Amino acid sequence: MAGETILIIDDDKDIIETMTALLEYEKYRIHSAETVEQGMEMIEEVKPDVILLDIMFPEKKTKGFDAAKDIKSRYPKLPLIVFTAINREYAFDFTKEDIKADAFLNKPVAIDKLKKLISKLTS
Amino acid sequence: MDTFPKINSSEYSDLTNVIKWFILLRWVAACGVCITLIVIQTVFGYVLPYALLYTLNGILLLVNTGYAFYFFRLKNRNLLRREIQFFLHIQICSDYIILFLLLYFSGFLSNPFSYFFVFHIMLTSYIFASAVTYRYIFILTALFLLVTAGEYFSFLPHYALSAPDSGAYRELIPQRVIGLTSTLVISAYLTTTIKARLEEKGRKTEIELNKYKDLDNIKSNFILQVTHELRGPIAALKGYHEMILKGITGKISGHTSRTLLKADHRTANLLNIIDEMIDYAYMQSGSRLKNKTSALNAADSITYNLEMYEHMAQEKQINIRTTCPRDLYIKGSRDLLNIIIGNLLTNAIKYSPERSTIILNGEKMEHMAHILVKDQGMGMKADELDSIFEEFYRTRAAREIEKDGTGLGLPIVKRAVQSLDGKISVYSEEGRGSSFHVYLPLATKPQKE
Repeated sequence: MAGETILIIDDDKDIIETMTALLEYEKYRIHSAETVEQGMEMIEEVKPDVILLDIMFPEKKTKGFDAAKDIKSRYPKLPLIVFTAINREYAFDFTKEDIKADAFLNKPVAIDKLKKLISKLTS
Repeated sequence: MDTFPKINSSEYSDLTNVIKWFILLRWVAACGVCITLIVIQTVFGYVLPYALLYTLNGILLLVNTGYAFYFFRLKNRNLLRREIQFFLHIQICSDYIILFLLLYFSGFLSNPFSYFFVFHIMLTSYIFASAVTYRYIFILTALFLLVTAGEYFSFLPHYALSAPDSGAYRELIPQRVIGLTSTLVISAYLTTTIKARLEEKGRKTEIELNKYKDLDNIKSNFILQVTHELRGPIAALKGYHEMILKGITGKISGHTSRTLLKADHRTANLLNIIDEMIDYAYMQSGSRLKNKTSALNAADSITYNLEMYEHMAQEKQINIRTTCPRDLYIKGSRDLLNIIIGNLLTNAIKYSPERSTIILNGEKMEHMAHILVKDQGMGMKADELDSIFEEFYRTRAAREIEKDGTGLGLPIVKRAVQSLDGKISVYSEEGRGSSFHVYLPLATKPQKE
């Protein structure tokens, strides 16, 4: 059941553009932020049903990791999906379990898979 | 609450071992003194103040009992930094004093055991900086000279080893004192020098090790950066393809759609190649592979890879059948397990005909986890089978089916299997299909699940 509000936090404008277009096509309402700080502010404002959060940001390679912890401590019930272009844990100093997210996806994200995941997390 | 940090560094854990060793050596020394006293009293019949000597030995035993009690019981082998230093100084001082007194009351310079101070010097220089050792040497030599002068000028009584030697003893005092003190100084010099050289070597090794660790960090950062820089744009590219293909940007013709699908297929291939290259670089590094092993649920890993690649199978209407018990756990790292299952599964999909079946099973087999990937694909010739795990090798049929390819997939799988202390074998028949059998060590179910 689409129609949920999704907040995408990613520094890559192209990812934001394509994800927004593809998810809007699937009837989701999309808001986006290019920085973690902006994204944190928008949570209160847009009250998303799901957050899609990138891990690597220009200022710090694990900024999304810290942000995930922050989001989960402030909004424990808000579904959080972490997504990154990095597909191997060895590149990071932490594993998926260390990230307090509800799901972990690799880019490119398969939209069908994301749809299933969103409906599972919001039901 | 302790305000000083607990001692954790290797240097200090080493010193804690030294304390243990000293206490043990002191028991041995006290036994040695006791046996020597009995022997010289009963066998040689020397006239010495035995009561005093036995008392000194008793003090040595008592002091050592005190040290052992303090170290093992009171402090439970866990001393603070400043306590270790202080404790070692106390021990060394008591050892010097007791040996000195034992010697003084048993012939002093004529006692051959006076050279036992060499051992004390060696141990002192082993523990302390050379300046401290030389301070000990200075005090010891001064004491020797003082007592010797006292004996020479008859201020102090001489406790001779045997009664008639007192005249000869006096004559030999200068030679003996020179011999003994020079031995002590030279042994101090040699041990402190050797120690300094060993420490220098140790420092160099540590620097080398740190350099190696830095390199390892740089390498892993590089892999991270490269992965991000290459996979990120491709993710965006695929997103744009999908936008156009879904008509989000406007209606497109069938021809454009087919052309773009081809472009998208090559892009997906490129992504696969990048992954293989990066995995290959990672597998080559080897050093960090075993760091993150844990108990992994085999069924979860199979499902993860199935979801990851099911779109590839759907395009060819391939049916993937899987069975895996929920309680099968593998000892390994998730990355390596995904490398193994992911590569074998994508190979099976790539080289299988449309509407065929692939079997992906996990099962417990004796003391190993057995993962089977079986396809009904084109199979391989016997002579090709020998080479498939060689780097950059691609079978002729593989090259025909897919132009892009690194020939690194199976070598990576083999390395990943080996890194997890597993085994891989392959059975194949040309035209009938291949089956890859991977055997990996079992793990017990993690408690938190």
